[in-house]
This record gives sequence, C-alpha cells and structure tokens, in this order.
Amino acid sequence: MGTKRMLLVAMMVGLLLCTPLMAQGQRETGGTGPVDIELWYGAAITEAGPPPEDWVGFQIIKDKLGINLKLTALPSNEADQDVKISAAAAADNLPDLFMVRREVWLRLVNQGMLAPVDDLYAKMPVRTPLQYDTDSIGFTTIDGVSYGLASPGSIARNEGVLIRKDWLDKLGLKIPVTLDDYMQVMKAFTFNDPDGNGKNDTYGYGAFIEINNFEEGLGRRMDPFFGAFGVAGTWNMTKADFGLNVRKDRYYDAMAFIKRMVDDGVIDPNWLAYKKDDFRAAWKQGRFGIMREQNAAFAATSNYAPFDKNFPDGEWIVADPPKGPEGKQSVGVYTSQYRVYAISDRATAEKKDAIARLLDWMSSKEGYYLLGWGVEGVNYTLKEGIPIAAGVPDAEYAFTGPKGQPYTQLRNMVFYNGEVELTSRYPTYITATSGKEMSALRVLVDMQSRPWTAAIASDTLPPPSTDLKRFYEQGVTEFITGRRALNKANWDAWVAEFDKLGGKAWEEEARSVAVANGLLR
Amino acid sequence: MKSPVVGISATDKVFYLLVNTVLVFLFIVIAIPLWSTITLSFRPNSFIGTNFEGMFLAPWDWSNAAYKALMGNNGFIMAFFNSIKIMVYGVASALFLTVPLAYALSIRTLPGRVFLIVIILIPHMFDVGMIPSFLMVKDLGLIDKLAAVYLPTAVSTYNCLIMKGFFEGIPDELKESARIDGASEFTLLIRIILPLSKPIVMSVGLFYAVSFWNDFFHPMLYLNSNNLMPLPILLRNILMASGMNEFVEVSAFGEAPIQAIKAASVFLAAIPMVIAYPFIQRYFAKGTLLGSVKG
Amino acid sequence: MDASVSVPSSGKSLVRRIQRHRAIYVLLVIPITYFIIFKYIPIWNGQIAFKNFMPRQGVLGSAWIGFANFVEFFDSFYFWELLRNTVMYSVGKLLISIPLSIMLAIMLYECRITVLRKTVQTLAYLPHFLSWVIMYGILLGLLAPGDGLLNDIAKAFGGRGIDYLTNVQAFPWVVLLSDAWKEMGWGAIIFIAALMAIDPTLFEAAIVEGATAWQRVRYITLPSILPVIIMVVLLRLGTILSGGFNQLYMLYSPSVYSVGDIIDTWVFRGLQEGKFALATAVGLFKGLMGLLLLSFSNRMTRKVSGSSLY
Repeated sequence: MGTKRMLLVAMMVGLLLCTPLMAQGQRETGGTGPVDIELWYGAAITEAGPPPEDWVGFQIIKDKLGINLKLTALPSNEADQDVKISAAAAADNLPDLFMVRREVWLRLVNQGMLAPVDDLYAKMPVRTPLQYDTDSIGFTTIDGVSYGLASPGSIARNEGVLIRKDWLDKLGLKIPVTLDDYMQVMKAFTFNDPDGNGKNDTYGYGAFIEINNFEEGLGRRMDPFFGAFGVAGTWNMTKADFGLNVRKDRYYDAMAFIKRMVDDGVIDPNWLAYKKDDFRAAWKQGRFGIMREQNAAFAATSNYAPFDKNFPDGEWIVADPPKGPEGKQSVGVYTSQYRVYAISDRATAEKKDAIARLLDWMSSKEGYYLLGWGVEGVNYTLKEGIPIAAGVPDAEYAFTGPKGQPYTQLRNMVFYNGEVELTSRYPTYITATSGKEMSALRVLVDMQSRPWTAAIASDTLPPPSTDLKRFYEQGVTEFITGRRALNKANWDAWVAEFDKLGGKAWEEEARSVAVANGLLR
Repeated sequence: MKSPVVGISATDKVFYLLVNTVLVFLFIVIAIPLWSTITLSFRPNSFIGTNFEGMFLAPWDWSNAAYKALMGNNGFIMAFFNSIKIMVYGVASALFLTVPLAYALSIRTLPGRVFLIVIILIPHMFDVGMIPSFLMVKDLGLIDKLAAVYLPTAVSTYNCLIMKGFFEGIPDELKESARIDGASEFTLLIRIILPLSKPIVMSVGLFYAVSFWNDFFHPMLYLNSNNLMPLPILLRNILMASGMNEFVEVSAFGEAPIQAIKAASVFLAAIPMVIAYPFIQRYFAKGTLLGSVKG
Repeated sequence: MDASVSVPSSGKSLVRRIQRHRAIYVLLVIPITYFIIFKYIPIWNGQIAFKNFMPRQGVLGSAWIGFANFVEFFDSFYFWELLRNTVMYSVGKLLISIPLSIMLAIMLYECRITVLRKTVQTLAYLPHFLSWVIMYGILLGLLAPGDGLLNDIAKAFGGRGIDYLTNVQAFPWVVLLSDAWKEMGWGAIIFIAALMAIDPTLFEAAIVEGATAWQRVRYITLPSILPVIIMVVLLRLGTILSGGFNQLYMLYSPSVYSVGDIIDTWVFRGLQEGKFALATAVGLFKGLMGLLLLSFSNRMTRKVSGSSLY
C-alpha cells in the first residue's frame, strides 16, 4: 500500500476539492433564446437583502422581454463601488448595464469603455419623457455624444435649517434672522440650559463634515453660514462672478464667523469627529438645537420616532438660513442630482436593444409599481391611487416591512420624484409617543421654498487632483481648529499656496468647461 | 542555596505579584471597551446619554432589537453559510499548500533551499496590488466563483515561514530514527512531524480561518452573484453605507438604533472565531515535543 | 547517521543529495505551481507600473512610459509626509505592539492563578475581531472632545479636554495605542505557542540550580523564543511601508491628514481616480524598500544572534 500512494491520493483529492467549489453563481443560459443582461445596481435599502430568486419580476422580464436578468448589488459604500467598477474596467470585464458615479464614469468614457446611447432615447417612448430631459442628456454628453442614461436622483433642495422651537420658547427667544441673531440663539442654547435638565450638556449648532464634488471644504452642513456671505458650495456659477468660492474674499469672512462659533463653544465640539450616523444619533439625543438636515432623515417615521420618544415635547421647525451683512442668505447650493447608468462598450447591438426594452418596461405602469412597491395586495394597497403599506394580509411583506423591502431594491431605477412616489414615500402620520402629525412631504415643500443658491451642473466640472483636494480640506480644517491662526495675512498666504499647487489652474480649466457647455447663468 | 520545594523567595514573590497585577490591569483595560460595545449592541432606542453611561445600563433595560433585526435579515443566514464555506475550503486549501511547503523548506540539507525561500519571500514583499491580481483571476476564469475568494490568498508567506521555523525546531534525532526504521518522507511527515506540530498547525489554521472569515475585499472584488456573498459584505454595507442618494425614509431595522446594529453585527460576525479559539487552545499543550523524544 | 552534516559543494554529491531528497521535491510541486500561478503571474502583470495602462490594450499592449508613474508618486506634494507617516506608524507599532505581545505571552505563561490566566487569555484576543468601524465608535465614546470618557474625567479634575481624534499631537498616539489594544492579545498567540514548545526540563533544571523567576525568564524563556521574535520582527519589517490602511481610513479626517495620511490611504484616494498604474508602481516601490530593509536586518540579526530568516 504505502503511504506514498495514500499521499498521492490525498493530493488528488485536494486538487479536486478546489474544482467543484468553484461554485457557479446563478445559472447561466447560453445560445439563442433570451438575451442575458447583467445589471449592477445601487441598492435602495443598503441593509436589506437583494430581490429573492423567486421574484415575479424575473419571470415577467424573461417572458415579456426575452431577457435573462442577472442582478448584482453594488456595495453601499461609494468608495467600494468605485473600486469594484474600476477593477472590472481594468480587466475589460464591465457588465452590460451598471450604475456608476460621475467621476468614474468620466474616466471610463475617456478610456473608450462605454457605449454611446444616443440611439436608445428614441427606443424608450415611455421612459424618456419621464426621466431624460435635455439637462439629463446634457449631463452625460461628452463631445456631442451621450454615454450614459442619467436618471433623476434624490430630489433637489431637500435639506433645510431646523431649529428647536421648544428651546426657543423656553428661553423666550424669537426665530433668528441675521447672523448675529443666530449667534445669540446659539449662545443661549449652549449656556442657558434650554432643555431645563440642570445639566450643561447642550449646544447651539450641530454638524459633521460631509463633502462631495460640488460641496468642498467644510461640507454642506456648514453651508448656511457660507451662504450668508454668498460663498456656499465649491463653485460660484454666475456668469458675472464665476470661480472657486474659496478664492473669494467673502470666504474669509465666513471662515471667521465659524471660527467664532468654535471659539465661543457654541458648536457641538464633536462635530469634526462625527460621521453621519453619530451626528444623527446626537440630534435624536437632544445635543444641539440648530442643524441642517434632510427632510426624510428628519421627519420619516422610523427616523423621527427615537427623538419623539426621548422628547415628546420637542419640536423642530424649518427656518430661513441666516442673513449675512449684505443681506444674502442661502441654505446652500443645489444641482440636479443624477444617477448615471452606463452600458459597456462590449455590449452587442442586440444587448443594447434589450436594455432599452428593459428600461422602458421598468418605467411602464406595470414595471413602475412592481419595482417601486411590489405586488398589489401583497406588498401594498392603493388608496386614491397612492400605494400605502396598510391593508396587506401580512404586514412583514408590506413594502416597508423587513420581508417586503428586498422586493423594492431596484426602485431607484424607476423613481423620478413624481407625485405618486413622493406622496407614498412621505405619508402624513401621527407620531407614536407625542401624537403629533408629521409629514416628510410637508417638510420637503417647506425646505424647498427657502432661499437656495443654484449651482446647476457644478458637479460636472473637472475635479481637483488628489493632492489639491487634500490641501483644500486639510487647510480649511486647520484654520478652524486653530492649528493655523486665522487672520487675513495667513489666509491670503494659504490661498496663494493653493493657487501654486494647482488651484488657479483648476479654476481656469473649470471655466473653460463651463463656458463651453453654457453652464453659467 | 534554596530548595525549590520549600516556599518561594522574596524576589519571586515580587515577580508573581507583578505578573498578577499587570494581568489584572490588562483585564480591566481590555474589558471596559469590550463591555461598552456589548452594552451598545443591546441599547434600546430610548436611551439618552454617553457611551460611558450606557455601560451601566441595567440588563433588564437591554433590548435585543438589533440582534433580532440582523438575524431576521433575509440575506444574513445565506451570507453566514457562504462565509463558512469560504472559510472551510480556504483553510483546507491553505493548510494543504502551506504544510508541505513549510516542511520542505525546513530541511536544512535540501539543495536550492535558500533559492526557494527567496522565491516565496518576493511576492510577500512586492505586493503588486489589486489590478494585477484581478487581471490574473479574470484570465483564470474565476470571476464570480467562490474559489476566487480564497485561492489567491491561500498561502501566506508569513504563516509559511512561521511553520517552517517550528519544523526546524524538531530535533533531527527523531527524523533520523524514523528514517532508520525505513519510513519514507511522506510517512515521516504524516505520522511523526504533524502530530508533534499540532500547536503550530492549529495556530496557523486559526490565522488563516480568521483572515478568510473577515475578508470583505476579495468577495467584493471578485463576486457578483448575490447568492455567493459572504457575511463581511453584508456587514460592510451596514457599517459603511455612504448613502449620498439615500432614500432614508424607511430603515430595515425599525426599532434599533444604528449604533446598536453596528455593534451587534460585529459580534455576530465574531462568534465562530470566539467559539473556535478555546478549542484550538487545547492543542497548545505543554511538553508535546518532550514526550516524543523521551519515549 | 548524522544528518546535520555541512553540505559538500561538489557536483557529484549535489546530484546525490537531490536524489536523496526527491520525495521532498515531489511535495513541493503543487505549492510551487500555486506560487507561480497565483503570485508570479500578478507580478508579471505588475509591469503596468511602467506603462500607461489602457484596459482595452491590456497588459502587453499598453505603452511604456518608464518611470513616469513612480515620478508622479515621488513628485506628490505630500510624498515625504506620506513616507514619514507610514514609517512612523509601522515602526511605532513594532516597538509597542510586539513587546507588549511578548510580555503578555510571558505573563500568561507564568501566571499561577488559573482563573486569572484563563480569563485574560480568553479576553485578550477578542479585540482583534472588532473591525475598525466599531473601534472608531469605541474611540469616539472614549475620546470625543465633548463628552468622551477621558475628557469627562479630565474636566472633573478641572482640566480642559483634548480633542484626541482631531489634534495632530495626540492623533499618532491614538493610532498606536488603539492598535496595541486591539492586536496585543492576538499577536501574543504566536508567542504563546512558542512558549508551549519550550522543554519544561530546562525550567526544572534551573529551579534546582536556584534560579529566581526573573532569572528563569531572562536566561531561558526569552532566549528560547528569540528565533520566533526575530522572525516576526523581520517579517514585519519587510512590509514596513504597508499596513495600517483599515485603521487610518476609519480614524483619519482632514484635520489630521498631516499625520494620518499614509501611502496606502493616499493611493486609495487615487484609485478612485482610476490611477491603477500608479497604485501598482507604489506597490513595487514599497516592495523594493521592504526588500532592502529585510536583507539588511536579516544580515544584522544573523550576526547578533545567530538565527535569521534566511
């Protein structure tokens, strides 16, 4: 017998161990018949699972459209999404249809990896009028060719300045209007125990650093203060005064005001260290009295409930952002947020047609309701034409319930911020603890009516280099924390260095792009 | 000269006092943040206060909403089993490859030994990164297959060299007496070396198991099918969602605060390791080597 | 027959030795094949570091640009800072975490109170399983300027709080100490295994000779695990420019970029810009540095203590 033979057998077994375990994913069909389409989508609800294999949508898509749909959920973290897509691109292995962020998308266009889609708009008679207007097509057009399908993303101007009304009332204060008013109120909130619990544990303003490609520096949560000086957002998109806001004189004044907030201690000291979830937990625990928050994150049932339970008498109201010395005020900048879906250059003409069929069906009445809410009678019922979660036999399968949510993971592909959606997603409800009537839709309308600064397409301007981006963010934070003394001389010196590192060149590059595309108003 | 049997000397008393004090201190330093995280995972939505205050929350006020929400999650069970699969096949492949390699390299008289050691050291240090590896995996046709997750990292030079070091420590007399008795190299490896090396094989197996269990990067990169996704992907989606275009009106987690979810998810992910380690510990028995040489 | 004979170098006995060891070579076939496929093909693909990599053109088809990618890295405004930070954290962790792990292992080995020993041993390795996402939350609870535990205590004594996570002086210590806390127990595992392998008769003999516990540790325990210590240190030195990414990515923020940005985090941000060739070039650079450092230290340790990695 011999151990040698035994060992050889063991080695064979070992090798064989590997092969069957190269377990395939979902079954693939080949040859003629249904077209295989691979779709990488951004999940609507990051923590719920993907649509189950027995989802009726797969069958309908196969029977009606002749498509075998293979779904892959992109990671919910944006950096991870970029990495996954970039890696696939590098290996020339992009899927047929995939959601992609603009920076990555732009690079893929430059590398010739994406298919032109101009011919597809006409092939989607239902979807195009709903989702693709001239701005949308312009968003994905490079040198006259459109390389992506830009669907509407989150609705614009859906954030606002919120103030604790009950604190104002308790301290006998009026709603602040000017910057000085705001400073007074913030001080009162910090030092005069507005929640009346005898402890010195409240602050005036709460925020965290939330940066994206058109809201640089200290991020969007601090923009109401920058807006008071007319320098909200990264770019000033007016014809008269185009440029990087950070290079404008008024930016220094805004920084000085925020520095005063920090020095006087009226801003929650954790703000630089918070991530989004920490910030949200903090306002639900009554740490601060003024903030800039999104309508649904504030007012939707599950988000407001913890605050309601802790502070049944607590009440937030939407207020106008602070008015600066020249009478300017703005919650911040807004642009049309788009979600871009790109098609790999490797997709055959047959596949492109199939994709057009698929997307068009998704926007049809059948697809819209199926992807957006599920099956009528199982996941939702209709009340005056609006889908609601009540009235279904098993509440867990309602589209808001744990078992129902996976069925709506693709809804970002069909929602376009229409009436039905908004009313359904933001219903009016009575809070559990305090019995108040709340409606995220009402809050949204209120927030949209406040002063905002238009910066349309500012997110299509060229991005800065990694080093320049870091220099910008690091610099402003260092001035705020006091690591660099904030005075005019230092600030000007820093801006000069910024220019030298490429800041001026960045602005010029953006100017030429903006002018070429007619983006300045 | 002091007899070892009668009492311990004063310096020794100090020594043991120091040892015990330091261990108690370490216990406190390690336990407190762990306890803080445990209480965090059981925190009810209604709790207001700092993490510190949270540590003293009475157990009857605890809420298991976070754990219920996670385990009731559709994908959770499937992800859990995918992770188990990856870990088991991964550890099997890893040990299958690492043990012979380490053993072969431990033989001092092997011609070309240094050359081979250098061969395995080079990739360890020249970590060429994600794209070259991705290109290779794609060319092998392993994209979207479980093997892509565990095969590329199946041999860690670190673990291999540690094992080699232990094999080198096995006295040559043992090997010689076995060879004299007519044993072949394979028999030697399996019947004698391996049983003696239980501590190190178990340790290395544990290291591999943990790295496979916690790996999110390779599954994220190479897997597309939803039914293959292991646990770390699910958890990372929960823990690190950026959600710039979020529709946050409904959370899948209902009652539990998000920090509790995060803390609970970390504990759930750690459970298999936490259970496995005490078992592995038993193999770290003192004097295994001694017994075989004497006997 | 004495197997540990010094190897003769003449050709005939070389062939004989290969013959003698042929079973070993058979053992090596599969692992080495694995290495060639899974480790060396990527290295071959790594030539994109010297190219302007275009996915459509593939590895071979993309154009050579020589060292341009490396130059881009070296020319980065932050290059020296990145290098300094990376080395600072690697060396710092080496100097703090490894001695702590050794110390913990020895303490556990020597501890006579079973309850204490078992409890600490079981507890110590748990923090390793906490991801840095959770660790961030823990650290926030501990170190937050507004209401973190440490600052609460400091304020109770009339002092001012320190913003540990956003203060450039404090931040490196936060990084080093939190890593030590997290990895000390796990790192001790390998040393515990090494300690278990020490021949107990050595200790018995020492006790008979009248050695104190201190002397026992100094003259027997430590020297016995010295080869393992050296191996661990050397291996970590080889990857001195890597590691720390997960931790720093979670912990850092713009206020501490100057001390928190390391090579890997910088490259990661560049990856989002699609700079694959750059990332690969940086990987090669790191490897080269590590190789130099490793061979240097390997030679040094062989001189000093007789054992080395190779």
